[in-house]
Amino acid sequence: MFTLTMWVMLQTVSDHTPKYQDRLATPGLMIRPKTENLDVVVNVSDAESWGQHVQKLNKFLEPYNDSVQAQKNDVCRPGRYYEQPDNGVLNYPKRACQFNRTQLGDCSGLGDPTHYGYSTGQPCVFIKMNRVINFYAGANQSMNVTCVGKREEDAENLGSFVMFPAHGNIDLMYFPYYGKKFHVNYTQPLVAVKFLNVTPNVEVNVECRINAVNIATDDERDKFAGRVAFKLRINKT
Amino acid sequence: MGQKTPQIYSVELNGAKDMKQTDKGDDKDKYRGLWSTCLELRKNHHKEHVTKEIDLGLSSTQAAELLARDGPNALSPPQETPEIIKFLKQMVGGFSILLWVGAILCWIAYGIQFSNDKSSSLDNVYLGTVLALVVILTGIFAYYQEAKSTNIMASFSKMIPQQALVIRDSEKKIIPAEQLVVGDIVEIKGGDQIPADIRLLFAQGCKVDNSSLTGESEPQPRSCEFTHDNPLETKNIGFYSTTCLEGTATGMVINTGDRTIIGHIASLASGVGNEKTPIATEIEHFVHIVAGVAISIGVLFFIIAVSMKYRVLDSIIFLIGIIVANVPEGLLATVTVTLSLTAKRMAKKNCLVKNLEAVETLGSTSIICSDKTGTLTQNRMTVAHLWFDNQIFMADTSEDHFKQTFDQSSGTWASLSKIITLCNRAEFRPGQERVPIMKRVVVGDASETALLKFSEVVLGDVMEIRKRNHKVAEIPFNSTNKFQLSIHKTDDPTDKRFLMVMKGAPEKILEKCSTIMVNGQEQPLDQSTAEAFYTAYMELGGLGERVLGFCHLYLSADEFPETYSFDVDAMNFPMSNLCFVGLLSMIDPPRSTVPDAITKCRSAGIKVIMVTGDHPITAKAIAKSVGIISANSETVEDIAKRLNIAVEQVNKQDAKAVVVTGMELKDMSEDQLDEVLTSYPEIVFARTSPQQKLIIVEGCQRQDAVVAVTGDGVNDSPALKKADIGIAMGIAGSDAAKNAADMVLLDDNFASIVTGVEEGRLIFDNLKKTIAYTLTKNIAELCPFLIYIIVGVPLPLGTITILFIDLGTDIVPSIALAYEKAESDIMNRKPRHKKKDRLVNKPLAVYSYLHIGLMQSLGAFLVYFTVYAQEGFRPSTLINLRVEWEKDFVNNLEDSYGQEWTRYQRKYLEWTGYTAFFIGIMIQQIADLIIRKTRKNSIFQQGLFRNKVIWVGIASQIIIALILSYGLGSITALNFTMLRPQYWFVAVPHAFLIWVYDEVRKLFIRLYPGSWWDKNMYY
Repeated sequence: MFTLTMWVMLQTVSDHTPKYQDRLATPGLMIRPKTENLDVVVNVSDAESWGQHVQKLNKFLEPYNDSVQAQKNDVCRPGRYYEQPDNGVLNYPKRACQFNRTQLGDCSGLGDPTHYGYSTGQPCVFIKMNRVINFYAGANQSMNVTCVGKREEDAENLGSFVMFPAHGNIDLMYFPYYGKKFHVNYTQPLVAVKFLNVTPNVEVNVECRINAVNIATDDERDKFAGRVAFKLRINKT
Repeated sequence: MGQKTPQIYSVELNGAKDMKQTDKGDDKDKYRGLWSTCLELRKNHHKEHVTKEIDLGLSSTQAAELLARDGPNALSPPQETPEIIKFLKQMVGGFSILLWVGAILCWIAYGIQFSNDKSSSLDNVYLGTVLALVVILTGIFAYYQEAKSTNIMASFSKMIPQQALVIRDSEKKIIPAEQLVVGDIVEIKGGDQIPADIRLLFAQGCKVDNSSLTGESEPQPRSCEFTHDNPLETKNIGFYSTTCLEGTATGMVINTGDRTIIGHIASLASGVGNEKTPIATEIEHFVHIVAGVAISIGVLFFIIAVSMKYRVLDSIIFLIGIIVANVPEGLLATVTVTLSLTAKRMAKKNCLVKNLEAVETLGSTSIICSDKTGTLTQNRMTVAHLWFDNQIFMADTSEDHFKQTFDQSSGTWASLSKIITLCNRAEFRPGQERVPIMKRVVVGDASETALLKFSEVVLGDVMEIRKRNHKVAEIPFNSTNKFQLSIHKTDDPTDKRFLMVMKGAPEKILEKCSTIMVNGQEQPLDQSTAEAFYTAYMELGGLGERVLGFCHLYLSADEFPETYSFDVDAMNFPMSNLCFVGLLSMIDPPRSTVPDAITKCRSAGIKVIMVTGDHPITAKAIAKSVGIISANSETVEDIAKRLNIAVEQVNKQDAKAVVVTGMELKDMSEDQLDEVLTSYPEIVFARTSPQQKLIIVEGCQRQDAVVAVTGDGVNDSPALKKADIGIAMGIAGSDAAKNAADMVLLDDNFASIVTGVEEGRLIFDNLKKTIAYTLTKNIAELCPFLIYIIVGVPLPLGTITILFIDLGTDIVPSIALAYEKAESDIMNRKPRHKKKDRLVNKPLAVYSYLHIGLMQSLGAFLVYFTVYAQEGFRPSTLINLRVEWEKDFVNNLEDSYGQEWTRYQRKYLEWTGYTAFFIGIMIQQIADLIIRKTRKNSIFQQGLFRNKVIWVGIASQIIIALILSYGLGSITALNFTMLRPQYWFVAVPHAFLIWVYDEVRKLFIRLYPGSWWDKNMYY
């Protein structure tokens, strides 16, 4: 009976889109490198401490290599959604737009002796927005990511930073997402933040959020809805 | 008990010794019969006052001093456990300990979390607090229930404040009896309750009713003579709480309060240990099972979790979850409610239950030791048979006989009825014209009352008849001449003769007769008619009835002219050669409902033993007429008589019934009594003393029987206490008996006991159903945890949600099962065996846990998986997702479709999962509730709609679930979310499956009784 009802139930679940997405109305933001408790700690003198971050980032950014992107994905027209409707016939697999690693500029880590700035204490942190199927982020208007120190002293300690792509923009062409099965080579857009002169040896609370018309970032309960908070600490001797 | 018994006797013995001493030391008669306390009194400085004249009395100051020394003249109430202890007991009893452990573990877990990470969530604190609240609330509830049932009884013990007429400061004063002290002079008169143990100094025609103390129902004359060494026997002592029936007396208080005889008996009764009621044992057994399962599964999984490399803290939290899931938090409260509902129902049927648990005890009763008078009988003499014209006629003895159906055409009857009417001093109290005849209050003794009522029913207005037949002379009944006589003018104006009517002991009456009336004609009394008379007399006497003979004589008008003055002392009228008219016999007839009730008891496998102080013949006759001795069974003596052989020659195996007298019982050893109790199915104990009642009860209990005892006197209270269930009589019962009893029969009617038995059995069955219902979902609550630990899926059911099932949706339905009607005639079953037929037996546990419980878990998991799958997490993705799922910093967990979830989004989904699982269980609990209506019969045989309360229960389940999901869905701490309406129906197929499965189970049980299936699937 259980097997039967389970089977019946699974028949009601489609392969490509979940039946309900009500919980995902607001995509969350997340950072890379992914660390325990979202603490990005960099001991400049200790290569091992940041070495693991660098390795993770290398691996993470591999699919973004221009060569891979060129091979698999389309060059799309920026500034508009890349819609691939089924129109009655299953349009499968769906194409994805290119996001080239070079777009990340100083944070691309390509030919970078500073290892994303980690060896110099000017680390890059990558911000990505959670994938949500059929979500038209920005509602046809441009959107970007901004970062601030959480409190006043954090803002002071944070110092200046640069963002790649410029202004932390995320282009509409990367939306909508059609799901793992259809959108096989989908490449998630990234925003890289390079912190240039963080006050060393203090913990800095950083909060980045996405500014988009249809993404609320003030959910009291979900601290990661449309935003991400992390701690940055550069230890220098 | 064994230790305590001698104490009361020793008191008496000491008393006797003291008296002797007193006699030696002081030969004043006044001091005869005083006991130790009084002796003491005499020795100390109050002596002069005691010896002073009666009319002086104590002075108020002395009385006050004595009062301060001895305390008030009241029985000290049985030692009560302080309320706070009672309350604390509720807090730690049953499952409470487990829940406390859970709560404390919660707080410890939070403490550890907090010390590691200041921002850790408060979930564990909430949970701990909720658990503690649950314990406290259920504790308060149980305490309240208990207090309520105690209060019912408290009203009983509250006697009307008694007053005593006392002489103090040479003045007669009325003071509350409580303030009496030793040495007080009190006056009593007919109708008063004796306010303390008193020694009579002056008595006039004083008679007391000592029945509550000694069981003797005959009024006892009292005088100021010292007649016996034993205070209970001597005539000059009046006992506290007995009643003075007639006459007046003055006496000196010799003992007050607890030092009175009644005080000793009361303390004796409270010394008899209260044994645990069967249901309490059962519930304890059940708690042990559940706690055992909870602890062993908890510890097992704690070990598994630790060895699976879970953190110890997490493992502790799992442990709490497992405990909470396993413990049916609401069940004990439900049981209490169920019992009190039944108690209420029983109260409506005149069984007032004092101790809630006694409700069930009555159901498991296997032997009832019943009183005769008042319980089995109507407790009033009633005319049962008449003999005239050489024929025995039966009179109607039922409680409300309006018509007497025997042949009333004979001329003899006309004469007989006239004698009955006229030769009678009893009268109705005035102002009762509207009261049914049988219920009217009569002034007069029992036999005369019976005759008066009988003639009133047959002839109509007796008083009018008596007026028309003016009484000119009368000799009242006395024990020396054993007859009663009166002489009347007749109501026939042409007949100037006087009519002399007489009644009395039949043989005495017959002696005075020379003729006998047959068919209205006087005939000479010859040998054959005399023989006919004796045959009838013996026959009626053999029925245990009190027989009276009636005769009359018309005095010739010549010899006794109208102006003749009769002198009853000189007896200037003929006392021989009278005309015998007939016999009439009376008995205290059985209540009409009793034979039926006894039959019911018998088919219910309950042995009814009659224990009475009455004469064996009467006892046997009543036993036969109510069916305690059934129509076709014989005693050894009966067989001997039938076969015309000596009693010794009779094969004892042939006799089914036995009448044991107190004298025989006295000489019996324990083994012999056991043999009597086991070898005879029908037993009557006659002429027994109250102490022997206790012996009989103990004998029955040695047979592993659950014994119910009825009683009314103070002296019954030890037996009432000793019995598994003591039943006191509400009308005739003394307060001591009511206090010692577990139950009070408001109408003193044996039939009410049978109703009680029925209710008790029903509640046992229904409790089984309730427990089976409750246990089932425990598995459905436990499985999520186990699956969560082993398979690593996100937690399907939260701990707080579990509490909402146990204490929310499931409460009303499990109470509703108490309203379920019996499946078959429960009165056709043997009483359950105390040790073999458990409330929670293996089939019940196995079937609830492993059959229905597992099915229910699967159904609930279906709902859970549905919710997750439709939101994006297919079952395959969920496996081993737990660790990532619960990491707070993972805010991009990928689902089956490549979407990414933040922690809070997952958490909300988890709560939705809780809600889904909860709804899944709730929907299937509806099916569970319906299948639990019966254990054997099909639901359709039982009727789906007969028990309306079940539907109230189902409605409450749904409404509570709706409120939780849609009303409180926004309160974070409760972990409920608004569930899509369609998910409410996901588990419905499983609910149907449960129903069908159980119908099949029941079908096989009905088809193959006694088979393996029946043994293992019938709970």
